Amino acid sequence: MRIIGVLMLVASSFASAAPCGADLRGAVTAESANYLVAFRTQPPRIAVGKHFSVEFETCAKGDAPASTGVAVDAFMPEHGHGMNYRAVVKPAAGAKPADAPTIARYRADGLMFHMPGRWDFYFDVRSASGTERATRSIVLE
Amino acid sequence: MRRALVVWAAVVIAAACVPPAAADSPPTEFTRDEVRRILRHGPWPQPWSPDPSNRVSGRAAAIALGERLFFDQRLSTDGARSCASCHVPAKSFADGLKLGIGVDELDRNTPSLVNVRYNRWFGWDGGNDNLWAQSLRPLLDAREFGMTEGGIAALIRADAALACAYRRAFGAPPAPADDEAVVVAVGKALAAYQETLVSGRTPFDDFRDALARGDRRAMASYPANARRGLRIFVGKGACSVCHFGPNFTNGEFHEIGIPVLRKLGTVDWGRYQGIKMLQASRFNLEGPYSDDARRSTAVGSRHVVLGPQNYEQFKIPSLRNVAATAPYMHNGHLATLRDVVRHYSEIDLALMHQVHLYDNDGVPQTLPVDQILKPLNLSALEIDDVVAFLNTLTEKSAAPSLRRRTATACR
Repeated sequence: MRIIGVLMLVASSFASAAPCGADLRGAVTAESANYLVAFRTQPPRIAVGKHFSVEFETCAKGDAPASTGVAVDAFMPEHGHGMNYRAVVKPAAGAKPADAPTIARYRADGLMFHMPGRWDFYFDVRSASGTERATRSIVLE
Repeated sequence: MRRALVVWAAVVIAAACVPPAAADSPPTEFTRDEVRRILRHGPWPQPWSPDPSNRVSGRAAAIALGERLFFDQRLSTDGARSCASCHVPAKSFADGLKLGIGVDELDRNTPSLVNVRYNRWFGWDGGNDNLWAQSLRPLLDAREFGMTEGGIAALIRADAALACAYRRAFGAPPAPADDEAVVVAVGKALAAYQETLVSGRTPFDDFRDALARGDRRAMASYPANARRGLRIFVGKGACSVCHFGPNFTNGEFHEIGIPVLRKLGTVDWGRYQGIKMLQASRFNLEGPYSDDARRSTAVGSRHVVLGPQNYEQFKIPSLRNVAATAPYMHNGHLATLRDVVRHYSEIDLALMHQVHLYDNDGVPQTLPVDQILKPLNLSALEIDDVVAFLNTLTEKSAAPSLRRRTATACR
């Protein structure tokens, strides 16, 4: 039985930032003040109790510096707990496209959502100016 | 026309006189949300594929050797107990005791082995990430069987029937000078046997499948009280958040407010200790004995987090055949299913680990580490209903896979 993670689509004010995630078919976005994070999961459908990976890229908005690293985590706000597993993030192939220096690509492995319900993805984007969090909610059924 | 009006009026009056739905009347329909949640608990049985970390998983010769070993009392130092002494086939491969008994009395309840092949973690603390390593745990534990690797390997080498069955299973005789390799092979044969222990279909499975087909006639045979209990289970009880999926467990761990003091006055730290044990084990899925060359099965062990949230967490057990595996909880603390449901109905959150934080207005708050558990305050009838539902998760008679096969001579 496969359980479908339903992405709660939120209107993005950065619809014009088309290049972010252009190479990640099916990606959705999370955002913070200075970054847009386009991501998709692998496999595409998250199943309760099954490990999955996240492919993503961070795109700096305006004059913000490119990210130097990202930590990925997730939390169930209604339960007050996170995952039992720690995601490991590595730069993906072509981590910094030469023609888009403010974009960085990554892959996070080892995530698992062990309960159905609302999960918040956290992308903690590090850069020369500090760390800021981009979030995105999904409801896993 | 006049006659029709009289009949219509009579129907209205009769309807007005019918008392509200009797307390024991079944919910005739489940909501769409409830149906979706109910259907997640099937179908049963689930598909299964051999364990990549165990090269003899699913192979008949290994299953035969494993079954022979499972019932062999020579695998204990006192020669008085086998795996089947605690995992009794007639008791759904549990023992019916509050605490297990090996060479000494143990600290935890004996879990059932039925459907063990579907697990991700093994043991109440998840101290092993694979079934073959977990199978060695009681053999080598001083308080359970008290055997040494050398003692087990010597038995396999010296006994003609066991050595023959070993050769059939692994394609070579037991290594003469490598006790650990022989012992790991014993674990893998025991695992191959236990993987065959799968429970059969239950009244709930028949109801669930009828619901999936929309077969109201077949659904009607499912008891009314079980339906009401099921509605609580997937609804206000939120039981199915943890007891998730076809095997009624998400395979993870939870603190549920059960006392953790052991009889010697020490604390059973549960999952916290289990993760430490896992990470120190030579027999884990990242270690040298896994047959999964790509280590694809080791993702969980590689990424599992050890932290204070793991204190006093214990494995969320499957609920299949639950009526046959009393008493309950990691230390057999609760004698009956009614006690279990009452525990969740009246759960004392003060017994849970707390976090201290400030709310949005800066007011200090003290909350359980995990906020999903709350007293359900069920009525006596509701408790009965949930128990009635849980009873329908138990098969009426043991599935053929749970019966002992006749051992054939090995030549």
